[in-house]
Amino acid sequence: MKEWQTFLRRFSDIQEGKRELFIKDLTAGKAKYATKHVIGTVAKSKTGLEDPDTLWLRGESGERAREPWYISIEQTLEEDWVPGKPYEDVLEAVGKSEKERGLR
Amino acid sequence: MAFNSHRDFFEVLEKEGELARVKKEVDWDGEAGAIGRKTYESQGPAILFEKVKDYPEGYRISNGTTGTWSRVALSMEMAKKTSVREIYKEYEKRVDIKIPPKILKKSDAPCKENIMLGDEVDLHQFPMPLIHEGDGGRYVGTWDVVINKDPETNWQNWGMYRFMAHTKNWLTGWPQTTSQFAFIMNKSYLPYNKPMPVAIVLGADPLSHIIATAGIKPYENEAENVGGLRGQAVELVQCETSDLMVPAHAEIVIEGEVMPDQIAPDGPFGEYPGYRSGTMCAGVAVKVKAVTYRSKPIVTMIALGTPPDDSSIAASLTAAVAMKKGLIRHGVPVTDVYVPPEGVTHLIVIGVTKGGTETTRKVLDYFTLRRIMTNKHIVVDADVDVFNMAEVLHCFATRCHPGRGILYEWYEGRSNSLTPFYNPEERRKLKGCSVAFDSTWPPEWEKEIVPIKSSFKTIFGKEMVDKVNNNWDSYGIKL
Ligand SMILES: Cc1cc2nc3c(=O)[nH]c(=O)nc-3n(C[C@H](O)[C@H](O)[C@H](O)COP(=O)(O)O)c2cc1C
Ligand SMILES: [Mn+2]
Repeated sequence: MKEWQTFLRRFSDIQEGKRELFIKDLTAGKAKYATKHVIGTVAKSKTGLEDPDTLWLRGESGERAREPWYISIEQTLEEDWVPGKPYEDVLEAVGKSEKERGLR
Repeated sequence: MAFNSHRDFFEVLEKEGELARVKKEVDWDGEAGAIGRKTYESQGPAILFEKVKDYPEGYRISNGTTGTWSRVALSMEMAKKTSVREIYKEYEKRVDIKIPPKILKKSDAPCKENIMLGDEVDLHQFPMPLIHEGDGGRYVGTWDVVINKDPETNWQNWGMYRFMAHTKNWLTGWPQTTSQFAFIMNKSYLPYNKPMPVAIVLGADPLSHIIATAGIKPYENEAENVGGLRGQAVELVQCETSDLMVPAHAEIVIEGEVMPDQIAPDGPFGEYPGYRSGTMCAGVAVKVKAVTYRSKPIVTMIALGTPPDDSSIAASLTAAVAMKKGLIRHGVPVTDVYVPPEGVTHLIVIGVTKGGTETTRKVLDYFTLRRIMTNKHIVVDADVDVFNMAEVLHCFATRCHPGRGILYEWYEGRSNSLTPFYNPEERRKLKGCSVAFDSTWPPEWEKEIVPIKSSFKTIFGKEMVDKVNNNWDSYGIKL
């Protein structure tokens, strides 16, 4: 079971279900904190998730939520980015992309 | 002889007792940052972490290159004990001198000793620190020089902007929309959907980094100002993947392109105001195309945070001198401007020969005209030493009229969203407010009603002052 971390503006911004997100790998070593762009199912509880990993949440000031969520990664996307213009809100752009993929 | 490189300068720091070499293995994941922070908070030495966890012998991290006034003085080849006033004066004298850079052949440039190109690029081969627990990523670019170019005029802009590793070959960063970096990008690349070449330079000579923090006018090549400041041309070499010119003696040069239509998360980061506030996911993404580096490379970190550190010290110098010149151009009768490091470019002290509401209004106008990095401005009379915060505070407390002496102004679209007290909506809209505290005696007061400062030098006549000074030793009072 791996550990990941993702950043949100507010902890309450995350919703259970199939999501697109950027997650950072917390595995110790040279490549710790490398980002992956994935589609996966996220949930508060690991029960019902297939092969779940731990997903720590951090808010926009870097504060970590006390309890982790869980993620079952279904697909690692090839693109390290989302479409958008410099200075556009990345989290909104991810939301747009989720809609286009029919996740929302 | 000016310093050509980070390494040359560190040798001098070592001789002057201003460098600590840490031989014990230190973790890049928080530990180096925590040590750097603790050291700044006691105004301790610059640090070279010589053994970094997970990395081969020779891969090093430095912290706090010019993080104290003594080290700034040394970087300018002045005596270690030079006063802040003298450092300001010397910088002010040198910064407008322009000496064009000297271009080296690639084979003569130390930064080309090792080259990673294209698919070989792997930023994780460098000990990029996770500086503060909870940061959005590993900030490899903190004490950097970032270079981009205006294709129409060939102006090569230098600035200091944060960049973090996103993946092994992507960086994300946040040159503010008000920066010259953004000015060039918005003018010449984004409208044509063209990627913009960029170089992120770590570990150049110390003055190159100091100039990168300076608000040098648009279309001026900072490389020439570095030459002037050093008294000797800075040596540059061309990038492998673009025509950008970078300091040839740099430790590490990351070459890439800012993508016009692709973005990725940046931040949050423990920033220069001394907080990690919610500025994230609103920057630029850089596809890295090459990394060139010296053998035994040094990643130049600054464990940014509460003052003083490299940021608040450099900004104190470079911002104050730029402000002084700007205020004079704006018609303010300035004696000196001081940016106390403790005020992290939020609070500025302006000494004037003629005070009053009119002058204070002009000061506020100047500071709210264009991009706005400051928000509190204390205007003091010429009898106050602006470099002495105890005197400034006394003056502010006793001369600023709370009803008549406080002028403020709101604006939108040009504030600094890193300002900790702005709410989320203000940060998003770059909405802000600036204030000027008129801490001067009203110029219309007759001389007889102006309170006389009750200090040794000001309330006694010259005769008494001289008498007491001359007799001092005979009183037997040790000061
Ligand atoms: C340590 C440090 C980090 C900085 N980081 C940023 C940054 O991430 N983004 C930014 O816009 N300005 C940043 N600044 C401020 C700029 O360096 C400064 O505004 C400089 O004048 C920019 O150059 P420019 O005038 O060419 O845009 C930083 C300053 C320091 C001292
Ligand atoms: Mn510039």
